[in-house]
Order: sequence, then structure tokens, then C-alpha cells
Amino acid sequence: MSVLHRAWAIVWKDLLIEARTKQSFNAMVFFAALVLFIFSFALGPDTELLQEVAGGLLWVGIAFTGLLSLSRTYQNEETSGGLEGLRAYPGDSRAIYLGKLLGNIVLLLLVEAVLIPAAGILFQANLWPHALGLAAVSILGTIGFSLVGTFYSALTVNLRAREVMLPLLLFPALVPVLLGAVNATTLILEGDLMGEAVVWLRVLGAFDIIFFVICIWIFPIALEE
Amino acid sequence: MGVKSSIEKVLGILALGTMLIGSYVGLAVVPADAAQGNVQRLMYVHVPAAWLAFLAFFVVFVMSVLYLIQRDDRWDRVAASSAEIGVVFTVLTLLLGMMWGKPTWGVYWTWDPRLTTTAILLAIYVGYGALRSFAEDGEKRARWSAIVGVIGFANVPIVYMSVTWWRTLHQPPSSPRSVDPDILWTLMLNLAAFTLVYLYLMVRRIRFAKLEGELEKRMAYNA
Amino acid sequence: MCLVGPNGAGKTTLLKLVATLLRPSGGDAHVMGHSLLNDPDEIRKRTGLLTVRGFLYDDLSAAENLHFTMRMAGLKPRREVIARVLERIGLAEVADNRMRTFSTGMRKRLALGQLLVRPIEIALMDEPYSGLDSQGMRLVDEVVADFKAAGTTVLLASHQDGEAVREAEKTGILRRGHLEILPESEPLSRHLSVGGPAGAPEVD
Repeated sequence: MSVLHRAWAIVWKDLLIEARTKQSFNAMVFFAALVLFIFSFALGPDTELLQEVAGGLLWVGIAFTGLLSLSRTYQNEETSGGLEGLRAYPGDSRAIYLGKLLGNIVLLLLVEAVLIPAAGILFQANLWPHALGLAAVSILGTIGFSLVGTFYSALTVNLRAREVMLPLLLFPALVPVLLGAVNATTLILEGDLMGEAVVWLRVLGAFDIIFFVICIWIFPIALEE
Repeated sequence: MGVKSSIEKVLGILALGTMLIGSYVGLAVVPADAAQGNVQRLMYVHVPAAWLAFLAFFVVFVMSVLYLIQRDDRWDRVAASSAEIGVVFTVLTLLLGMMWGKPTWGVYWTWDPRLTTTAILLAIYVGYGALRSFAEDGEKRARWSAIVGVIGFANVPIVYMSVTWWRTLHQPPSSPRSVDPDILWTLMLNLAAFTLVYLYLMVRRIRFAKLEGELEKRMAYNA
Repeated sequence: MCLVGPNGAGKTTLLKLVATLLRPSGGDAHVMGHSLLNDPDEIRKRTGLLTVRGFLYDDLSAAENLHFTMRMAGLKPRREVIARVLERIGLAEVADNRMRTFSTGMRKRLALGQLLVRPIEIALMDEPYSGLDSQGMRLVDEVVADFKAAGTTVLLASHQDGEAVREAEKTGILRRGHLEILPESEPLSRHLSVGGPAGAPEVD
């Protein structure tokens, strides 16, 4: 169980630092708001149109914002000696993946907690009746995004042109997550008369499980020096 | 060396031969499609190209797994070669798809599940290639690209399913159905031809990769 | 044992190899009977590494950094242990200040403290004197002496002179990847035996 303990130590450390500096959180919220605003301007004041595409826009915002935070996942470590320091500690290196993963998920969910209501306001969509469904999509989608994102950012951390490689590798891998999240969100916001959203939630869930297993299994190989 | 280069030559001749025959049959012998006309003949290149793009990627996957288990450079070379050749076939598939689409349905691009998955496949391949070009150390390059190869491929079926679902919710999928035996065996013929071309290119590319690898090692020693 | 050598000789690389942060590209070595290639985790459990830059988080306090180190080493962090170590390294008064406010010397001391909060059998020190004033250097010497008294092996790389360097039981000169141990047969070799092509560690 020491893997969980050490993972928890990393989560604690990262969230503590984040709570103190608010570097990432502020940047992410600001950036996400910017994205939402620009989309609103681009699509014009026609609220019906905005409501139709709200699901998609929301997840575009979340995806780019998430990307921003991923680049910083290991950057934090950079100023303090890099991933190297973490690797020098004994124990299964999967604790590092788990710790970083949980930190990313929590951070992204916190940003979404601000972002989704903001989107509701901007796009004049009443979100409360759908709160449960939206929460489900949000959680499953964020987990999927963070699973692959945390993994690939560890892989690319020592690579040249890291800022290009991360999105390049990430986005093809995230297609199922994005499709699932966008479609589920859109359906939920429309009232989902035929219960189709559940299908997408299942896709997200399956993706999450499959990639959790794969990523956590392969992580030590990715981390090898 | 002697045996290898003669295998290459035989393979090359076979590939060229079947390609010529297949193209001839596809263009001249088989009757054109009643509805779509001659454009439909593109199917004889488009479908085999797509098939091979996926086959090449499957090879990348298998080789990547083998590499991660055994850490033998040979598997890495085969994987990298297959990826390169796969990119060519993927681009070909997409271009042919567009060429077919415009006259037939009036658009260059449809969000057809197979086409979409192929486009994403291309993105994965390109990522794989970019990763390799940015990784300087041979061992890391092999290891990281193997990981990407495995994850990328594991994702393809999920992507395909997701896109199919997405499409069926909006529009029924459009797929050319060919039951006519003439069409079928022409397709098979061209498929065989393309496969031979793939094998020929692979054999040559792997040999080249081996030379590249040796050059790298020698340069590392002298550095 | 002390490692000396010009810049670029590979001292840091060697230390990192022993700390299992780097994998040997050829050959293998055994540390305390455990193989670098097959058993790195056993080595990590017993090894502490002091690097030039240290491995510390700016936005945590000194105490919190040590707390984190203990957690990651699999120990239950106890306040008395942390307090005691902070006292030892002279940072007790600034224990709760963020590391961001620390000077280079203070950081170095804290990094040293990281070695002290966990039980280790081998201490690897890369340029321990760098950034320290004379008081700090004395602290390093004291810590090394304590280690030796406790039976902990110390592998120290330095191109600065200091008491610990002079008092080293064994000195090795590392030049462009080749290690030459100055003649002196001492039981320290019990703890660190190296095997690879040509009998010298293969430094990547």
C-alpha cells in the first residue's frame, strides 16, 4: 500500500503548492474564460445557435485549458530538480503517475466547476436541471483526459519541442473522450429524450478503464532513464 | 547478401507485375459501376490502400509490443519502417477517398467512420514519426515510440466505434457494397498487389534501417 | 570515499548511476550486493543522494520539504525527527519559511537535511561544499564524520578541498570516464564493488 501513500504525498504536495501560488488555477480559469468569450463573439448573439453548440464549445475550452495545465505538471518539478528527484525515491514509480494523475484531475475539475456555470451564463442555458448528468460527463471526461495527458506529458518532458509534441500525441488519442464528452453534454443539455447520453457515458467509462490499466502498467517503462 | 538481394528482386518483380495486372483489370477489364460510372474504379486502389494502412499499423503495434518485451533493436527497425510506409498508404487512402468523394457525393470529405478513423490514424502516425525525429538517443527513441505505437493502436478500435456511433446517431453510414464476383476478385487481386508492394518496400526499408543503425552506433563510439 | 576529477569527467554521472537514476548502457554493477540493472529499488531504499541543485520545492517550507522527503521514502513523518534535523543543519528558526526566501547556502543545508531524515547505508554527495560558507562547510564535514562513525558509506565528489576530502579513506581520480583508485586497501570496497568491461565502471 505504500504506492498509495506515496501517490498521496505527491497529490498533497502539488495541491498545497497550487493552493499557495494559484499559478495554474488562475491561468487556467482565465484562459478558459477567454476561449468561451471568443467563441461567443464568433458565433454571434443568436442564443439558439449558442445553445446548440454549447456542449462542443465547453469541451474545446476544457481541452485547451487542460493542455495548459498538463504542460505545467512536470514543469513544477523542473525548478526543483526535475522528475529525477522523484525517481530517486524507493518504491514503485507508478506512485508518481497516480499522484500526478489525481492532482491533474482535481485541478481540472475545480476549473470546470467555475467554467461550466460560466458557460451556462454566457450561453444562456439553464444548467441546474441537468446538473447530475453534467457532473457525470465532467468527471468521466476529465478522468479520460487526465489519464492520457499525464502519461504523455511524462513521456515528452525530456523531449525537444515538448510544447508541440504533447498536443500532437495527445489529441488523436483523445478523440474518443472528446466525442463522448461533447455528445453526452449536448444530449444532456437538450433533455436527452431517448436516453442516448448513457451510451456515450459508457464509451467514456470504457475508455477510462482501458487506459487506466494500460497507462499505469506501462508507466515505469516510460519513465526509465 | 546474395540471398537477401535476390529475394528483394523477386519480390520487386512480383509486386510490379501484380500491380500492372491489377491496374489493367481494374481499369479496363472489369465493367464500370452502373450508378457511379468509372470513378468507382478508384475503389480498387482506395480500399487496398486503406487495408494496407491498417495492416502496417498493426505491424507497428506487434513490433512495438515485441520491442517492449525483448528490447531487441530489430523489432524497433521493423516498427519504424512499417510506420513510414504506413504513412504513405494512409495519405494515399485519404487522397483517393477525396478524389472518389467529390464526383460521387459532391464533397471532398465525409465524416464516414472509416475515413475519419483513417485521418486520425494519420495523426497518430505523424506523432509517432515526430517523436522519433525528436528523440536523439537510440534506446529512448525505440522505447518511447514503442509505447506510442502500442497506445495509438489500442486506441484505434475505440476511435472507430466512437465515430461509428456518432455517425449512426446523425446519419446512416454509407458503405459501398460489392457482391458482384467480378468486382470482388479484382479487389482481391489489387489487394494482393498492394500487399506485395508493402512487403517489397518493407524489405528494402528494413535493410536501410539496419545500415542507419550501424552508422549511428559507429558515430556514437567515435564521439 | 572521495572522487576527484576535472569537470566533465563523469563524477555526477557516476553518482547518479549508483543512485540508480541512470541506467548503465553496458555492463552492470552491484551496490551492497544488489544489481543496478535488476534490483534498483533495493538500492534506492538504502541510498541518499545530495545533488548540486538539491531537490527541493520553493513553495513549501523547510519543514514541509523534509516532511515530503520522509513520506516519499516510505516513512511516517515525525515532527521530532524533522525538528531535530532542522536543528542540526541550523535551519530551526526558519523552519516554516518558504524555501523561496532561502539563500543558496540555506538550500544546500536543507538538501543535506534530506539525507539525515532517513536511514541510509550509502550517502552520495555531489559537490557538497558548493554554495556554502565556512560554517556550512564545517557542517558538511561533521555530517560526513557522523556518517562514517555510524558505518554509513560516503561517496563524495568534490573539486573543492575540505576536511572530508582530506580525511577520505579512499580517493579516486575520475578522468574522462576512467576511474583510478589511489592505492590504499580499505574495507570500504566491501560496500561498493564495480564490475564491467575492463574492470572500470562503464560511464555513459
